[in-house]
Amino acid sequence: MPASNASTLPPLAELSDALISETSALAGEPGWLGESRVAAWRSFTQMAAPVWRRTDLTKLKADGLMPSLGPQHTTVQWDEALAAQGVVFTTLAAAVRDHESLVRQHFGTVLDPLAHKFAALHAALWQDGVFLYVPKNVAVEAPLRAIFTLAGAGQLVAAHNLIVLERGASATFIEESVSEDVAGQALALPQTEVVLGDGANLRYVPVQTWGRGVYQIGAQRVRVGRDAGLEWAAVNLGGTTQHTEAETALQGDGAHVTWKAATFGIAEQQLLTAPWLRHIGARTEGHMDFKTVVKDTAYATFDGMIKIEHDSKATVSRLEEHALHLTPKARSDSIPGLMIDTNDVARAGHASTSGEVDEEQLFYMLSRGIGRTDAIHMIVMGFFEPVLDKIPSEELRERVGFLIEGKI
Amino acid sequence: MNSELVIKDLRVNIEDKEILKGVNLTVRPGAIHAIMGPNGSGKSTLAYTIAGHPGYTVTGGEIWYKGQNILELEADERAKLGLFLAFQYPVSIPGVTVANFLRAAINAQRAEEGKDPKETAIPMAQFRKEIREKMAQLGVDEAFARRYLNEGFSGGEKKRIEILQMAMLKPTMAVMDETDSGLDIDALRVVSQGVNALYETNPEMGVLVITHYQRLLNYIKPHFVSVVMDGRVVREGGPELALELEEKGYDFIREDVFSNAGQ
Repeated sequence: MPASNASTLPPLAELSDALISETSALAGEPGWLGESRVAAWRSFTQMAAPVWRRTDLTKLKADGLMPSLGPQHTTVQWDEALAAQGVVFTTLAAAVRDHESLVRQHFGTVLDPLAHKFAALHAALWQDGVFLYVPKNVAVEAPLRAIFTLAGAGQLVAAHNLIVLERGASATFIEESVSEDVAGQALALPQTEVVLGDGANLRYVPVQTWGRGVYQIGAQRVRVGRDAGLEWAAVNLGGTTQHTEAETALQGDGAHVTWKAATFGIAEQQLLTAPWLRHIGARTEGHMDFKTVVKDTAYATFDGMIKIEHDSKATVSRLEEHALHLTPKARSDSIPGLMIDTNDVARAGHASTSGEVDEEQLFYMLSRGIGRTDAIHMIVMGFFEPVLDKIPSEELRERVGFLIEGKI
Repeated sequence: MNSELVIKDLRVNIEDKEILKGVNLTVRPGAIHAIMGPNGSGKSTLAYTIAGHPGYTVTGGEIWYKGQNILELEADERAKLGLFLAFQYPVSIPGVTVANFLRAAINAQRAEEGKDPKETAIPMAQFRKEIREKMAQLGVDEAFARRYLNEGFSGGEKKRIEILQMAMLKPTMAVMDETDSGLDIDALRVVSQGVNALYETNPEMGVLVITHYQRLLNYIKPHFVSVVMDGRVVREGGPELALELEEKGYDFIREDVFSNAGQ
């Protein structure tokens, strides 16, 4: 067996059931986890690669990628005094050891580990990621922040995040991914599963700012309980290729979500988000507002779906999606869907616009002496403002603001 | 510097249709000059052409201001010369607050060639003080400073924010395009007070008030009135002309113009 760097496994092409199993055992993982990894690996080797019309993976050379070992690319930032209230915020690796039964209760219950080949690969290889647990009725004011990085070219990182808020709990979770530009390719496979108990409230802020060369294939799913609320504000700025499948399942009666996203592609970036909003319980309410800007020859896809399930009642659902093109060759595809399996809907609708900077807005600003370039900057920043406003960390909001400014 | 706005033989098309057919008009510094005319006469076209809107094609003529033919300048360059257009239907700019917008406009005016914009920018404390003062004077709630520009504002609120911009930018030549449209008497009064107060502190400012109805001119009293019909200035006079129009309607001028044309 070729020697591997202590911090990585051998390249993908050289991995095996045995090595996966051994790695899990060496890390002191419980048997059930080791077994699920092996099962996932087997599925991975047997599954065909997914054919995604709008995500070009032809240039991705996965065989030589080396999966990182241990949660070395996960940084947890929080006020540890919160532990006294029963809040747990650690790496998932540590949580599997220290809070095994709690983790086991929820792990893999929200996301399908075998949804497709890359999901299976994630399930087999994840090492990074966090476990956030907030007990019943505990309200955590300060944001809980997890930062994910990667080392460089040739690396595969997979972070699995498990967030559980018990009944009446509330918290804000920032999931930030950041790296330098990579001289070559790297692959990130993040997955986040969230359980919101009855009456719980979560503000979930995933901010993707990978460097050039990084491919991200990820999934995020939130299950919202009775009368629980989710405020989801996503930022997608980095990487060469992004394919993120996201879902909010409004399971309990009265569950609600406001879901915003800001995506900005430049150069040859391909950024795809596929958000699904599922209305399952009664009187659920969802408001989606997705904003996309593309420039140069970038390509952004919004592949969204509102699904109002058969047994749901009195759903209120609204999807808005707006794309701004700063150059003629930039492209965006918007595929909003609405599937309604019931007659009992209060109101549901969607609006989608796509176009260049509004000439009337530009003229208004020019007529005040603001130059064209500055005016476009202000219009683009204003376009994203409702999403940036939801970022609870001043410093992160500034960093995101600089990144966006730099792309205009 | 001489701040007369001189419009010479101005001809303007919207796409292929000729709207202004040779407008001649001079607005003197320190004058409140009303432009009146029936719908479709070209009044708004005149306002937008002065401001430099790209949707209007100038096919002939010149507009002179501060020694330049401003038709050769971009809209932002004209604004830096001291021109201001108060829109009839101000657009909203999502995500851009009233305060940030104003500060950007003020800083654009203060910018100097070759200097770091950070040096010429208005100090925050000064900006805050001024905007508070002007908002109070105009009866605009301070909360508006943090609201996105014109988003969800009523017609009256939008007009007040136009006047607020005017008060903060202190133009030397203000063009007001049908400022009274959609305003009730109270809003009209407030807006007019704002313009008059600004004019009092800047007596050299020229104001081109474009209006269909005479009513606004009860509050903003003009020194001169020009009547535009079918794309030309057909009649000029003092404030009494506005009263005559109110009494007799535009038809009396139309008859006059036609009867004169025969001679």
